[in-house]
Amino acid sequence: MSLFVGTDIGGTFTDVVGYDSSAGKLTFGKKLTNRSDLVEGVMSCLDEVALPLAAIDTLKHGTTQVINTLVERSGARTALVTTAGFRDIVEIGRAGRPIAFDLNYTREAPLVERELCIELAERINAQGEVVTPIAADDLDRLVARLTELDVEAVAVSFLNAYLNPVHEIAVTELLRERMPHAYVTAASELSREWFEYERTSTAVANAYVGPKTKGYVKRFDNKLSEAAFPGLFYMMGSNGGVLPVKRTMEQPIALVESGPIGGCVGAAVYANHLGLERLIAFDMGGTTAKCALVEGGLSEVQNTYYVGGYDRGIPLRTPVLDIVEVGTGGGSIAYVEGARLHVGPISAGSDPGPGCFGRGGEKPTVTDTNLILGRIGGARFLNGQLPLDIAAANDAIAGEICRPLGYTAEADTDRVANGVLTLANAQMATAIKEITIERGRDVREFALFVFGGGGPLHGVELARELGIPQVIVPPEPGNFSALGMLFADARVDEVQSFRLDVEDLSASALQAQIRDLKARAEQTLQDDFAATSVTFEHQAEMRFRGQRHSLRVVFAPDDDGAKLRRNFFAEYLRKYGHVDEHNPVEIIGVRVAGFAATYTPDIATVKQMPAAQSVDPREIRGVFFANAETRVSTSVFEREKLPVGFEADGPAIVEEFGSTTVVGPGDHLRVGELGEMTIDVASAS
Amino acid sequence: MNVQATLTNAGIDPIMMEIIAHRVCAIPNLIDKNIARTAFSPLVAEYKDYAVGMVDAEGRLITQSRGGIPVFCANALSVGVRDGLKIYGKSNLQHGDVVITNDAATMGQHLNNVLMYTPIRTSEEDSGLLGFMAAVVHWVDVGGITIGSCLSSETTDVFQEGVQFHTVKVHSRGEPVEEIFRIIRSNTRFPELLMGDFDSQIAGCLMGRDMTLEIIERHGMEQVQRAIEHFWNQSEAKVRESIRAIPAGTYRASSFLDDDGVNKDKTIPVEVAVHVRDDDLTIDLSGLGKQVDGPMNAGYEGGAVAAARIACKYFFASDESANEGASRPIEVHCPPGTFLSAKPGAPLSGSGNMLPTVVDTILRALGSADPARAQAAHHGTYSIHVLSGHTYAGDLFYHLESTIGGWGAAHNRDGTGPFRSIVHGDTLEVPAELQEASNPYLLEWVRLRQDSGGAGKYRGGLGVEKCYRIVNPVDLTVIIERTKCAPWGLDGGGDGSTGRVEVHRDGGGEPEIIHKGTASLAAGDRIIVFSPGGGGFGSPGLRPPEQIEKDLSRGYISGAAAKADYGLQDAGQQDTGNERTP
Repeated sequence: MSLFVGTDIGGTFTDVVGYDSSAGKLTFGKKLTNRSDLVEGVMSCLDEVALPLAAIDTLKHGTTQVINTLVERSGARTALVTTAGFRDIVEIGRAGRPIAFDLNYTREAPLVERELCIELAERINAQGEVVTPIAADDLDRLVARLTELDVEAVAVSFLNAYLNPVHEIAVTELLRERMPHAYVTAASELSREWFEYERTSTAVANAYVGPKTKGYVKRFDNKLSEAAFPGLFYMMGSNGGVLPVKRTMEQPIALVESGPIGGCVGAAVYANHLGLERLIAFDMGGTTAKCALVEGGLSEVQNTYYVGGYDRGIPLRTPVLDIVEVGTGGGSIAYVEGARLHVGPISAGSDPGPGCFGRGGEKPTVTDTNLILGRIGGARFLNGQLPLDIAAANDAIAGEICRPLGYTAEADTDRVANGVLTLANAQMATAIKEITIERGRDVREFALFVFGGGGPLHGVELARELGIPQVIVPPEPGNFSALGMLFADARVDEVQSFRLDVEDLSASALQAQIRDLKARAEQTLQDDFAATSVTFEHQAEMRFRGQRHSLRVVFAPDDDGAKLRRNFFAEYLRKYGHVDEHNPVEIIGVRVAGFAATYTPDIATVKQMPAAQSVDPREIRGVFFANAETRVSTSVFEREKLPVGFEADGPAIVEEFGSTTVVGPGDHLRVGELGEMTIDVASAS
Repeated sequence: MNVQATLTNAGIDPIMMEIIAHRVCAIPNLIDKNIARTAFSPLVAEYKDYAVGMVDAEGRLITQSRGGIPVFCANALSVGVRDGLKIYGKSNLQHGDVVITNDAATMGQHLNNVLMYTPIRTSEEDSGLLGFMAAVVHWVDVGGITIGSCLSSETTDVFQEGVQFHTVKVHSRGEPVEEIFRIIRSNTRFPELLMGDFDSQIAGCLMGRDMTLEIIERHGMEQVQRAIEHFWNQSEAKVRESIRAIPAGTYRASSFLDDDGVNKDKTIPVEVAVHVRDDDLTIDLSGLGKQVDGPMNAGYEGGAVAAARIACKYFFASDESANEGASRPIEVHCPPGTFLSAKPGAPLSGSGNMLPTVVDTILRALGSADPARAQAAHHGTYSIHVLSGHTYAGDLFYHLESTIGGWGAAHNRDGTGPFRSIVHGDTLEVPAELQEASNPYLLEWVRLRQDSGGAGKYRGGLGVEKCYRIVNPVDLTVIIERTKCAPWGLDGGGDGSTGRVEVHRDGGGEPEIIHKGTASLAAGDRIIVFSPGGGGFGSPGLRPPEQIEKDLSRGYISGAAAKADYGLQDAGQQDTGNERTP
């Protein structure tokens, strides 16, 4: 195994990273995403960097195809079959109004229209017993009706099927046989957790994207065959593991966050090698900023993922690493309303983009302020492929912000630009803090791991705002999502809701309960990856009997009920500050994650480091720093020239293709063994 | 106004002000998350029956979190803190003091809503007091004649509804006051649950205080105070601008409530007048019915002021956080003795039940001034029904539902929903699978209620039908409203259908209909809850035929309604999904 390739389609760019382990050589490519033909876009990107398919051993691919289909509403004409009485399940949903004071508030319309929601008389109760069996006549009528409706895809979801899927299986098998051209999904094939709305919504979304994704993956696969691709081809799953082609065709919804996950996987690998127990992976691009917590080398899986966000979006119960949007990226537009300054959430995106892109954008953005303040070098942005227009940036700030707020002196431009930047950072910091508080963590105990074009640019200011002492910039931050993908192993999540008292529960009885789950995960990994060795992580969803909310508790195979209770109390104490150990405790579900290794490169060799030498700055320029409140002469280094062991006191700037790292006055930079840069951050005020 | 000159003359750097204001205003939202995470009872964690905010040294609301339900957007925090300032004086509210109050005469809402606050100060001098970190949380039970304290429809004075803590220190200079803890514990049915929420509330107040102190340390007291004033002024300016967009004048609207739960055949009038001047207004609620004998009362602050401010926030400033500045242009007039300005001692355990209707009536008056912002009535009721008894495992269970229903149409769109009432926020439906797993009933259907939305050029949102089939005996308590005053349509639009609760006995026979009351149910009995739909907007004759066809094929309306309401002659393509009956 020697040539590893990762390709990642993003909103703006399609990235390719190739790593030849025998030559120790990294190759990068970046092209504007070809939105009309994503597959073609990837192929031409591979072409351009001269990575011939016939030479690649392992190809891993992350795509926005599934999320695009959902967001653009370009999926299949889909029907939903429900338990009689529950036809409106996706239309009624959970009925919350997260934006409480908006009289016009609505959720996004369901993916399936009401005339395509069909009820079937059947019922299983909460003990998993069949209360109303399915009548054969009803099934015939159902098939006739679905045929008449001329649907391309069908989702089948029944009440309590998480406990007993027998009816879903019967209907699904029949539909697959009688409607061979339709894409058919049963909810229980995707999720065995309770909460009928979320599970049904997942099945509908899977059916909705099914036909198109199947076509996409097939086409990709065909291209590979045509080019005599000899290696292994995997898709990047939202859970941080890779999937083989066959499984993505059955569970396309598993690719919903396929793209951004690579960065999170990469962050976890670096965390392990650098011995960092807790870090926040922060990924900032042109249109979004996202973050994820990595603890003990792992990210949690979200309980429920919302396509289009929690406020209005569609819930999915498919394992997605817990990545949360915390801002609108470098393209965030600043504007004045009354005497009030706002930054975002509207973004100039990549088209027209910030004023400084010189493509007709007239609104000042965060990227413009970075340019004005000397933090990014205009001429060398993307190695000079996109020279930035500082005059346009100045005009935008002066016209839209300075003038309306009454800043007239020329010297005010820096102060105002810095104000915009500080507000943008304060807002992102608040969002990050919210996420840590929600998860019961103290943000100050984390290191900030930054990537994406804008991550290293904002890292130290964010860290200062948050009280975080250390920022880490991995190699190739601008291509990190694709790079991270190279390290992704295989992962299968199996989740099952069931109720089990832990009193007197033996380890063997608990293992017996989850035997099927583990066998399923193991089987999948053997079938898909010929895995010979599978490791497991077990989490139990536990609560006090009668309490509605639950906690996740990690357990080991030889743990019994007594041990689980102790773990639960410890977790409870951590979350709530106290615990009453007299109350009965129950398990309400288990999550098993199975892991199998795939071929991945050795992280220690994935860097291109020059031999130790003295390094002179490329230039010295005046850069405005918030904590200096003025311009300071700042050395600008080229990253590819910095050897392991290099150290510098801030202020300093490090430039490379796709990203710029800013080190403030009082901060300290050093280059580590893996080629990573670690910045010790001076505290605020 | 020349913003530029005003600010420059005052020596204010608006960008710095904005950054400090952002840092300060973020705190209640962070604490909000922390309380949601650490609270014990589902009322807090899931129903979101709480609010977090900051109040200044004079008791003015600095800002409030966005997470809690709208019923708290009024001045619960200010009112309680002002009472504390009056009682203790600034000098007796020192670092580490934590005060609670649910005093009915001050707060004017059911006794479950307990405010807690702690001073934010940099020194013991008066000048060292920035203000208070405050959180109001619905306590799960504070005694009284019913479990949960606030779900009887028949109390006749406040003393039947629980215990009152009238501005009492629970911590004094950082030390817990053990006596008060003993009193709290012995006056609740659920001491463990309550103390869990209590700890979460106290931790939230202290954490918010410390975060604010860090900001004061960074920017200085004076800069922080200036930033707050700047934030208020900007918020106020925005609300004034929004008010200026509607013509000056007096706008009136009326509706009525079913009854007070005690005198069940006596309706309660809701007459509202809004006097709009140039850029401020008075909400006149003196036309509300008199204080009632039953618990459908609230005090002036928790009732009249709350209703007025909720309505104005919806109408004028939905994206401004609740704060002193935003409420400056809004005056409330309501003399003592109405059901939203009840006198001390009045029963008020149902203090929230009338708010959806009153808020909607104020919105109706405001809407008549600006049709582009008008919305026909929503279902307008909490529609509470409670099922209680024993789970399959033999434990006690208690399942409270406030029903979702249709919302009103507007000048450019159909009605939305189904959602809970206009004074609820992000309160989620409890999944059938979760209910059925422990509670001894099956849900036979949960579906949209055909024909319940008011007809119109834009149709009202649909109500829902829920049918419970009882497996083991349960008790049912019902408190629903608006069974007589249908959700109104506007501009020629039709009214939404009213709601009802039916009990169908296993043996058959006519269903019993319950609005406010209780029933005992046996295996095989069914409860069917019909929630109201929203009102329509514009004449039904103006609804495009293709929209009517779509409503028909989706089953939102029946063929009969298409004919009767919209004059559609050939209602051929009909939906058959909603024909099932028990």
